[in-house]
Amino acid sequence: MFKIIRFLTAQKSFMLFIFLELMSIILIINSHNYAQTKVHSLKTEISGKINRRLSFIEERINLLKHNKELEEQNTRLLNTIHNPLKNEAINLPGQYEFIPGFVISNQYSFSHNNILINRGRKDGVEPEMGVIGTNGIVGIVQKTSKNYAKVLSVLNTDTKINVALKDTNYTGFLVWEGNNPNNFSVIDMPVNAHIKIGDTITTSGVSNIFPKGINIGKIINYKTVAGRKSYKINLISFMDMTGIGPVYIVKNNYKKEIDSLLEIK
Amino acid sequence: MSLNIKNSILILIFFILQIIWFNHIMLFGKYIPIIYIYPILLLPIEKNDTINLLLAFIYGISIDLASNTGGVFAATAVLVVYLRKIYFLIIKNPSQDLEKIQVSKLSSGQKLIYYLIFILISQFFIYFIEAFGIELVWQKTSVILINSLITLIFFILIDVLFVNRHRQ
Repeated sequence: MFKIIRFLTAQKSFMLFIFLELMSIILIINSHNYAQTKVHSLKTEISGKINRRLSFIEERINLLKHNKELEEQNTRLLNTIHNPLKNEAINLPGQYEFIPGFVISNQYSFSHNNILINRGRKDGVEPEMGVIGTNGIVGIVQKTSKNYAKVLSVLNTDTKINVALKDTNYTGFLVWEGNNPNNFSVIDMPVNAHIKIGDTITTSGVSNIFPKGINIGKIINYKTVAGRKSYKINLISFMDMTGIGPVYIVKNNYKKEIDSLLEIK
Repeated sequence: MSLNIKNSILILIFFILQIIWFNHIMLFGKYIPIIYIYPILLLPIEKNDTINLLLAFIYGISIDLASNTGGVFAATAVLVVYLRKIYFLIIKNPSQDLEKIQVSKLSSGQKLIYYLIFILISQFFIYFIEAFGIELVWQKTSVILINSLITLIFFILIDVLFVNRHRQ
């Protein structure tokens, strides 16, 4: 055994092995980083170009499913428009604009997953914009290139998104624990929120990334977290994260103004 | 020479297959087999494996670039190349020359064990390096084991359908 170790460490290839592993680790750490650099922009563009070609067959296979989803979404939107009483004035007028796009590659098996979409800087997409699908939220734009954007999927163990119990002001954080791509948890939901199984969790609008009131998922069970006076809720998302097609990038026209106010503090 | 025509074609095919399987196909739901190591496992075994290491790194980094995964696939490819040499140093006869071992000439049983060991190593390592921690790897053990099984069946099928037939 010692002979083998001595044989290996005496060789140049051992040093090269260590060097290449370190390089890879640096690249992994950089890919989790939010900072937008020219290199990242080029990487997003290359990745977009490759995956755009490969997604051709997939897009066609899922066409019927996506059509149905869009049809359902249209019905929901028409219902909201024609029932002004139900249409609560929850967001400022003209606060949000939606840029339509399409997913060209989607991951959901790792703990830090990302999605590529076919809209980039030239379409007005910028980092930190929210991305929603036909049935819920999808992620937050991390990096952009001219024609594509890399989206940090909600399937990311580091992401925390502010959410609320539907039609209330009780908020908590949406987290993903890395297991099933359609199961999420909500932590830090105060115990005085009257929740029950089957209730809906929506976006809270607090972060200014997603508009208030987008349905995310349905509560399947919950428990009180000992000593913390809050609930930990498990939910199943309305959005099928393994088959995302059409998406909308959310542009908040007041974001800069709100952020500048927060910075003064 | 590591990079002959056959190896180059294999690498190109598995590069495309892995990207499609990882980023596009929803086959079997959440299972993503790490099939791209197949051409690496077939590379010639060399005492000084500088070329193999560099080749594996470039191959892995290309998949990373296409999938936006940093260096996850590169790190795993490099590890597989390096551990492969240690594996053969341990199992070979003391009198046997390391460079004379050919993967294609291993018996079916030896090949199966060789594939299984490196599939398991690559599957566990890829989830470990991606999450930077062991906790999530334990949570995903069942997924990893099923991924490994699918990968093994896939490798055996490729061997039976193409490599062995070609030899006859």
